[in-house]
Amino acid sequence: MTRIRCLLVLTAALVGVGSMLADDAKPTDPKAIRKARQEARQKAAAEAEAKTKAEADAKAKAEAEAKAKADAEAKKKAETAKSTPATPKLDHQPLTKKIDDEITKRLTAEKVPASPKADDAEFVRRLYLDLTGVIPGAAKAAEFIDSKDANKRAQLIDELLAGPAFGKHQADIWDNLLFQRTTDNRAVKKDPLTEWLEQKFNDGTTWDTLVTEILTSTGNQEENGASTYFLATLSADKMVDSTSKLFMGIKMECAQCHNHPFTGWKQNEYWGMAQFFMKVRVQGNTKNAKNGATPGVTESGQGRQRNLPESAKAVPAKFFKGEEPKVGRAEPMRPVLAKWLTSPDNKYFSRAWANRVWGQMFGSGIINPIDDMHDERVPSHPELLQDLAKQFAASGFDVRFLYRAVCNSETYQRTSKPVAGNEKDATLFSHMNIKAFTPEQLYDSLIAVLGEPGRDARNRPNAAANAKRGPVSAREQFVAFFDPGEGTKSTDYDAGIPQALRMMNNAFTARNSGNVAREITKGTSKEQAIEKLYLAAVARRPTSEEMKKLTAYVAKNTDGYGDILWALLNSSEFTLNH
Amino acid sequence: MFDILRRRDFLRYSSVGLLGTSLSGWLAPLAARAAETGAKTKSCILLWMDGGPSHKDTFDMKPGTKDGGDFKPIKTSAPGIEISEHLPNVAKLMQHAAILRGMSTGEGAHGRAKVYMHTGYKEGIGGLVYPSLGAIVSKELGKTDFPLPNFVTVGNRSYGAGFLGPKHQPLNVADAARGVESLKSAVSESQFANRFGLLEEMEAGFFKQYQAGASVDHRTTYERALRLMQSKEAKAFDLDKEPTANKEKYGSGRFAEGCLLARRLIETGVPFVEVNLGGWDTHQNNFERVKQLSGQIDTPMSALITDLKERGLLDSTLVVWMGEFGRTPKINTRGDKPGRDHYPKAWSTVLFGGGIKGGQAIGKTDVEGATVTERPVNAVDFMATVCKALGVDYKKMNETPIGRPIGIADRGAKPVEQLF
Repeated sequence: MTRIRCLLVLTAALVGVGSMLADDAKPTDPKAIRKARQEARQKAAAEAEAKTKAEADAKAKAEAEAKAKADAEAKKKAETAKSTPATPKLDHQPLTKKIDDEITKRLTAEKVPASPKADDAEFVRRLYLDLTGVIPGAAKAAEFIDSKDANKRAQLIDELLAGPAFGKHQADIWDNLLFQRTTDNRAVKKDPLTEWLEQKFNDGTTWDTLVTEILTSTGNQEENGASTYFLATLSADKMVDSTSKLFMGIKMECAQCHNHPFTGWKQNEYWGMAQFFMKVRVQGNTKNAKNGATPGVTESGQGRQRNLPESAKAVPAKFFKGEEPKVGRAEPMRPVLAKWLTSPDNKYFSRAWANRVWGQMFGSGIINPIDDMHDERVPSHPELLQDLAKQFAASGFDVRFLYRAVCNSETYQRTSKPVAGNEKDATLFSHMNIKAFTPEQLYDSLIAVLGEPGRDARNRPNAAANAKRGPVSAREQFVAFFDPGEGTKSTDYDAGIPQALRMMNNAFTARNSGNVAREITKGTSKEQAIEKLYLAAVARRPTSEEMKKLTAYVAKNTDGYGDILWALLNSSEFTLNH
Repeated sequence: MFDILRRRDFLRYSSVGLLGTSLSGWLAPLAARAAETGAKTKSCILLWMDGGPSHKDTFDMKPGTKDGGDFKPIKTSAPGIEISEHLPNVAKLMQHAAILRGMSTGEGAHGRAKVYMHTGYKEGIGGLVYPSLGAIVSKELGKTDFPLPNFVTVGNRSYGAGFLGPKHQPLNVADAARGVESLKSAVSESQFANRFGLLEEMEAGFFKQYQAGASVDHRTTYERALRLMQSKEAKAFDLDKEPTANKEKYGSGRFAEGCLLARRLIETGVPFVEVNLGGWDTHQNNFERVKQLSGQIDTPMSALITDLKERGLLDSTLVVWMGEFGRTPKINTRGDKPGRDHYPKAWSTVLFGGGIKGGQAIGKTDVEGATVTERPVNAVDFMATVCKALGVDYKKMNETPIGRPIGIADRGAKPVEQLF
């Protein structure tokens, strides 16, 4: 049923009357409201667009003014509609300019040419993937490519940042970081965290608040999805490893058992940070869901801390490179840590987010690895990193702020096609780095084209898959199968033979491509049909050369459209964010 | 389509270039490299006894003692070594085997112990995910241009490559009788050829414009997958290709099929195969269940070792029989029927072939099978021992993606020298 419905929606989207698949949400209240809001915003955007158009015809100078005006109007609209994310406190444009200046400065100094601006097709697909985690539907892609609006890129950036898919994508990114499956947390549910994150990111919660809520969470998972983080991590030392990496951009884990070999970080500094988690206690069973109630977290300090390694040291609680705070015996420790950690004065906090967002968007951080920043690692653009961090803090830790500043930059909007002289560059940002899809992006994008896996697909939910954790969704199974594992770079294509075999031969792609292609191409000319397939899979129209070959191909092959769609879905162009 | 394929200038960027320049046979099975049977490089079959087998009821019998259990020991082909009466066929092959009776490993929870025994590192220590033995062997002994994966697991999913990265992830065959998932095309051969032809052309077009390394890797992976689909070697996965008479020697059931598949893969050149048999977590009804499980392994295991021997592969193939820990020397009476609980302090593993000195039992436990009294072997020593037997330098440092040097076996490893 689901598949048929999605097929219909997809078909509708492709002929330009439906909306994008991602919007095909269940009619639960908050979502309906969000949808209504989004429609209102879209309407407002359309009005602003018309206005901009009229003025743009007049003069080039007037165009800039109109742009500013439209921006202001969009902001105002967002305010009055009480749309989920709060109005940006800080204008992103000076930072956007700073990004381009700093990148250009270094390119000039190194005599590396910059690639030109990406065309609309390349841009729209990239932006959707980076901000929403899924390719644009065919209709959306065509609409954007065909729009004559000079300001359409900035508008699409705003639209996607305001939409619900932004929070969903952020939740995917962060639940992978916050929750890694181990045998000790195998019965802990991930969904409460995912849902909590999605809601927080879509509510416009600022990063300092969000991190504070994660770090200080108490209660069971049902009451507070954020407590999942501790349930997934489970011991004071692993909390240090994780929080230092994720929220401070440094890897303290080496200092767990010995002094760090080159940063000079001491084992005592590691255990000084670990003290902040020593009062946390887990309630309930994290290894087997069949025994007992939903697990939860308290900070009572009663009883023994579990799971501490032999290397544990009893030292006073001390902020990393900071003071020893005075905390009363009965007082909880984590709020003290969270306050220090998320403060604008903590340079690690804003820098960690800045370098991470940059790394996500460009496939390479300003310092690499993005979460292992120490003095020995030389940033490619030190001033820029400093500015990104500073401005992020100045924005009030608005999670959308850096995304907006980055996406509007020329640097981000460059093509990923190299030009003579910059082919080898991967760290100066002369052209966009190509990133491989995450398993989530791959699954969601396949679904966007093919519809949900149906009865005939072999990788549908398997209730018996994990009796301890309950049924695993088709998406979860797919993601687990395509998970490239530890230590992979986003710019590497890391899927192996089993994954390629599944992409080529599993019924979900091998047979569905034929069925779906038939639906998509019903009642159209050969050229229209091929164009639709290309827009659906790779968000562009075929070149004339491709069109010529493929029309000849479908004339000769009965299942020709299915073959084309199969090839598109199995191509590098599909599975790489370029 | 054919002239499109002929212009595959893209291929020269590929590290494999499997389709070569001859188009006529591109879907026909590719000319196989000579199967490297009996080669100098060693291989390993890990027979993983999931749940933790009771040492006192298999390879370290304590007859006539309190809680010694119901089973009787029998003599084996190795003088002075006795094992359980329920492993009569294995008993005839003990001249090829060494029992390590001094295992002492300190992790008593299934998950953590499984990670420990597969990787030689405690789970999560130092914030890393460590590679399992199969991934290490894949990296150290695997052949990069071989059409089959260098690490295959049969049965339940096992542990992966950790920081060694996706190249050394295992190919999991969930059911040996069904072979590799999605290995066969879902559409006709000619349609698949057409589809792949279209794909080749798209790949070339994309690479020409974007010149992305990821695109080359994507193509290489697809080519390797295609090569696997077409390769002669892939027949190793097809148990129907095994002569019936030989198949019957292995007996029936999933574990038997797994052992047969392991031999076929090793013979073809795969350096590491792990075969999984669950059910050893005998908290209750230990004796009936261990008897039944022993029956499940006796025929397949002995057939595997005999088969390897007859094919001249036993000296180059180390067969490891182990679980994650042993079981309590004391018999519990909590349930209706007596059982044994988790016990990592003293237990046994068994090694066959691989050029080790067979016919010996190394290490001893006390009269109850509760404490190691001679040549204790911890998880790190064990990792080093297996590596040494396979010709892998256990002291070698591998680097994590951020450049942390991590030894194949952790510091202080002492391999069991009596084996060599």
